[in-house]
Amino acid sequence: MGMSRTRVLKLVGRTGLYLALIASSIAMLVPFYWMLSTSLKLEADVFAYPPEWIPQPATFIHYVEVWTRLPFARFLFNSLLVASMVTLSNVFFCTLAGYAFAKLSFPGRDKIFFVLLMTLMVPFQVNLIPLYKLMDLFKWIDTYWALIVPSATSVFGIYLMRQYILSIPDELLDSARVDGCSEFGIFWWIVAPLSLPGVATLAIFTFMGAWTNFLWPMIVTSSMDMRTLPVGIALLQEYHTTNWSQTMAGSAIAALPMIIVFLFMQRQFIEGMTAGAVKR
Amino acid sequence: METSIGRRIGVAVRKYYVAYLFILGPVICTTIFLFIPMISSFAFSLTEWSGIQPPEFVGLANYQRLILHDRKFIKSLVNTTIFVILGQGSGPVFGLVSALALNQKVKFRAAFRTAYFLPVTTSLVVVATVWKMLYNENGLINALLRSVDLPTTRWLMNPRTALLSIIVTSVWQGFGFETVIFLAALQAIPKELYEAAMIDGANAWNRFWHVTLPGLRPVIVMIYIIGIIGSYQVFDQIYVMTEGGPVNSTLSVVYYLYDNFHYMKFGYASAVAYILFAILALFSYLQMRFFGQEE
Repeated sequence: MGMSRTRVLKLVGRTGLYLALIASSIAMLVPFYWMLSTSLKLEADVFAYPPEWIPQPATFIHYVEVWTRLPFARFLFNSLLVASMVTLSNVFFCTLAGYAFAKLSFPGRDKIFFVLLMTLMVPFQVNLIPLYKLMDLFKWIDTYWALIVPSATSVFGIYLMRQYILSIPDELLDSARVDGCSEFGIFWWIVAPLSLPGVATLAIFTFMGAWTNFLWPMIVTSSMDMRTLPVGIALLQEYHTTNWSQTMAGSAIAALPMIIVFLFMQRQFIEGMTAGAVKR
Repeated sequence: METSIGRRIGVAVRKYYVAYLFILGPVICTTIFLFIPMISSFAFSLTEWSGIQPPEFVGLANYQRLILHDRKFIKSLVNTTIFVILGQGSGPVFGLVSALALNQKVKFRAAFRTAYFLPVTTSLVVVATVWKMLYNENGLINALLRSVDLPTTRWLMNPRTALLSIIVTSVWQGFGFETVIFLAALQAIPKELYEAAMIDGANAWNRFWHVTLPGLRPVIVMIYIIGIIGSYQVFDQIYVMTEGGPVNSTLSVVYYLYDNFHYMKFGYASAVAYILFAILALFSYLQMRFFGQEE
């Protein structure tokens, strides 16, 4: 009797747990589903009551429209170009500097590193206006330079790579040095290959940051041709009376690449995120 | 004196030039795009500067006006603080609860985790745009409420619900980050601690209170510091969903900064930026105090 009662309680607990997990997961997924289904609806059906869960009829016309009549192809190109360049540059410079801070000794190393670390406390908004003025001075407003160069390196990236490279054994580097390998050779042939998992983390987070960045690209670009996807989506809503199915088609185009990258590289995402946060 | 320092630097550069070369790019970049702007920003904040005319030095007048006379700024500070308190009061709790649930023996753990984490990978502009449609007068949320005869409202047009609606969207977007971090931290707590507690006859609540929570303490501190600093900078959602309205009920500090920048009040906007900086520096200082105790 007592035995069966605890088993019933346990069964109720398990059922409750699964119900809560499923209900909350549905709450997480419905907005994504609604974005996709709205993007396939006719404009007139967007706010139909009762809500139209499955578009009747479904149409791809809005994807064609954002691609041909609105400059979404250009937004996508700009976002891809800027995020890729920022990522490449960060991977190179942060790994190189991370190696210097982790494994080379030179006067002022720890002081310079400390001063760099302090800048992590400065919110980006503090630099916004002078940075804008600087871009103006360089004649970089509304160019790719302004979108890429200020984010070309990051202190967080250097910190991340330094932590990663610290775990590479010194003996490995010393034996290469004895064999007459140059410092850059050691970096390129030994340090870089061994820190690939760290590089993957850095690349993912830099790309994601650049891809979703909004305030800076909005301020520093002015022509439609230079807008990135988030800026394009936000502005198209303002300029036009919102055509929701078109806007959702554009949103889906902006959201899908990151979702696909995440689904395929989930392990790197999660390991990279938790490596910094959880000491093992 | 100066020449000997100069010579020592010269010797150091010759001997260690490779190392300096390796850090040269980031050091130059950080100097031009971070240190110089940071100092200029403070200098700007001491001026009256409207873009066309050259800046005019006014001392601390901008700060004085912001703190003592600018009701809109105080409103933005209050709104942002409400945003931080409610968002950080609920987001990390959802993250912890969902991590505790996923830390049980559940099937499809990875699938559930993916569902919670998906919005974190999505740009805030996209998330805010989708939710703006959901919150529409005739949107999905009102349609669902109507179908069960609950009252509806224009969520983002009503000063009493607008800020709350933005908070709900932001928590929905962000708590998956905390789920993933908490889940990893839970799995890093040694199993032996739980076994020892079981032998001592501790019930589930005692085990949570005396083993789980202390094990999570450093992660909880870190999540709150990152969360507080990040939420004080809230902007994207507000730009997309309400533009600070209705009647300033969702005006945030950074939106107010942007507004002043937009109207070319560069000196005044810089003072707003520095007040925000001071608030965040305070939290960073608390963080260092906390982590200092940990080590």
